[in-house]
Amino acid sequence: MASIRLHNLRKTFGNVVAVHSLSLSIADGEFAALLGPSGCGKTTTMNMIAGLETPTAGDIFFGDKRVNDVPPDRRGVGFVFQNYAIFTHMTVAENIGFGLRVQRRPPDEIRREVHKVAELLDITHLLTTRAGKLSINDMQKVAIGRSMIMKPRIFLLDEPFSNLDASFRFYMRGELKRLQREIGQTMIYVTHDQVEAMSMADKIAVMDFGVLQQFGTPDEIYNTPANLFVANFIGSPSMNFVRCRYCQENGQGYLVQQEGPARLVLDARRRHLLAQRHRADDLVLGIRPEFIHASPTMSAAEPETAWPGRVVFLEPLGARTIVHVRVGADTLQVAAPADYRPALDAPQWLTLDPRFLHVFDAQSGLAIR
Amino acid sequence: MNRSRWWTALIRYVLLVVVTVVAIFPTYWMATMAFKPKTEWTGAGGVIYWYPHNPTLENFRTLLAQNQVGKFFRANTASALPSIRNSLIVATLGTLFAFGVGVLAAYGLSRHDTSAQGHFPFYLPLVRLALLVIILMPFMLLGSRLAIVDKWYGIGGLILIGIMVDDRIGRLMARVYTRGPVGNLPFSILQLRMFPPIAIMIPIMVMWAAFAMVDTLHGLVLIYGVVTFAFVVWLMKSFFDEIPRELDEAAIVDGSSYWGAFFKVVLPLSKGGLAATALFVFILNWSDFLVALLLTNEKWTTIPVFLNRLVSAETGAQYGPKAALGLIALIPVLVFGIAIQRYLVRGLTFGAIKK
Repeated sequence: MASIRLHNLRKTFGNVVAVHSLSLSIADGEFAALLGPSGCGKTTTMNMIAGLETPTAGDIFFGDKRVNDVPPDRRGVGFVFQNYAIFTHMTVAENIGFGLRVQRRPPDEIRREVHKVAELLDITHLLTTRAGKLSINDMQKVAIGRSMIMKPRIFLLDEPFSNLDASFRFYMRGELKRLQREIGQTMIYVTHDQVEAMSMADKIAVMDFGVLQQFGTPDEIYNTPANLFVANFIGSPSMNFVRCRYCQENGQGYLVQQEGPARLVLDARRRHLLAQRHRADDLVLGIRPEFIHASPTMSAAEPETAWPGRVVFLEPLGARTIVHVRVGADTLQVAAPADYRPALDAPQWLTLDPRFLHVFDAQSGLAIR
Repeated sequence: MNRSRWWTALIRYVLLVVVTVVAIFPTYWMATMAFKPKTEWTGAGGVIYWYPHNPTLENFRTLLAQNQVGKFFRANTASALPSIRNSLIVATLGTLFAFGVGVLAAYGLSRHDTSAQGHFPFYLPLVRLALLVIILMPFMLLGSRLAIVDKWYGIGGLILIGIMVDDRIGRLMARVYTRGPVGNLPFSILQLRMFPPIAIMIPIMVMWAAFAMVDTLHGLVLIYGVVTFAFVVWLMKSFFDEIPRELDEAAIVDGSSYWGAFFKVVLPLSKGGLAATALFVFILNWSDFLVALLLTNEKWTTIPVFLNRLVSAETGAQYGPKAALGLIALIPVLVFGIAIQRYLVRGLTFGAIKK
């Protein structure tokens, strides 16, 4: 077991910066997810942790030990690749026992260990099968088994479930979480699927263009996104954004939609925050679809904060209906109850829950809080 | 609709039959001629025998027996057996040599991007043998003039000059390759094949003569290995490229060394490629005429050269024995081909990877 600390890690390929000054620490036994769109440097980061790529600059620590110069076979990491990298010319048992064979352990011991791992993964019936003939689902298990048998201090998984079919993926997520709890390893999991990251990880590192955007627990990432990218990337359907400016009237602070009629009263804390800013005229208001209430009539209680709009599109999803409502030049998605089915072009009044409001600086994209 | 289909099918099959006949006929002609008596293969009397009317093994006897036909044919009094043996040894060893170097080079080139490295040290003297030899020629002639090529300092000096010249060429080429449209090292390996063989064979012959390697086993194996090395590299590189890097990396992460990953994972997975390349290279070495003609005279004569000698002013071309030897020459390639057919057919399905 070991904690991992990355310090100003940087990797460039020619003129392309794949990872830009990444600093991160993952505690011993923690399940961390690297989340980001493809090409954001997640896999490169993993490869550097595993030792398959040499960092251009910066340090990698396992525990207190700097491992930059430790070759990959001595780092004690397990790596499960996105495409499984199963050795098709070997049987399942040979695949799983590969690492032990390389270490020249006695055959008896290898057989015992292979069996133990196979039982854990429920693939004992496949041990003598040629790995090339397995289904994708089983290949995945073999790949995990092959890494697991080495009892690595650190387990790295590079989008291991992206090729699986949906139901099996769901099952494997649970299994992996269980395995991790049982073995207690430090685990880093690369994914571009936010649901996977949210449901499994203790901590999530959101990356974009090689830059770490935010590192925190799933709740933190979801509830207090650090910037526009994180806010937009996490959550499905994603957060609504409305360009606004701040103005003050009669001692009240308002966010006023730039291209439309909508306005919103701010609470005292936000008012103070925005009043202190030099440039408060180019802001982005963010609110998740779940925290908007749509109704066909104006709510009497807060006439001033209800936003007038028209339905442009309906997305019935079963559990709920996503209503796309046009307010001025912006279109907002509203998560409405499943049976809420307004007619197209029908007028709607939107009420935003001010507790779940996010305000971002439009220029820098950073959250203001 | 049906009618037109019927016609296309007919045309297709007729074309197929024609092409097949054209392709097979020379082999058929050679195989039958090998069993024809002299009166039939000479075509004397203007009669064409489409098949042997009086099948005989006389041609094989003529070919294999030592000195038996010496009384009548002064053209060739030697048996073909030594040349068959020579061909087998030389082609096999040449292929192994090209493989030993080429497969490793191909793996390196496949796994490491060399195109961006303008400073790559081009210490691959074999690869640029052609240019090297041309530049070294005057030195070698000078060396033989001074009668030092059989002295250790003579040979050492030539090798030293060779390395220096090669280094220069290498740097020059590195500059050219990294600028041009083909800025990569693998391409430079092809350059040997860009010369017409005869253009490089003359200097090579002089060089081989200087080092007393003409008509020796090591001389032939060396040149065959060098000439086919480029093919091994290029073919094997493409096969290795097909094998995802993740497989090597998985092996390495699990504690294997780089060599271990290569021998335990990559090589077994490229069996098909190895087999195909081996067959291809073996055929090249086996059927080579030019190199063997220039670099052998008596002891290490190979089949193609021996074939060429089955002719004289007295007897004319001995087509019967030639056909018989041709038929014999076919056997190893055929056997080899059938033996590795499984791998060739199985092809390159690397099921491990879902792309």
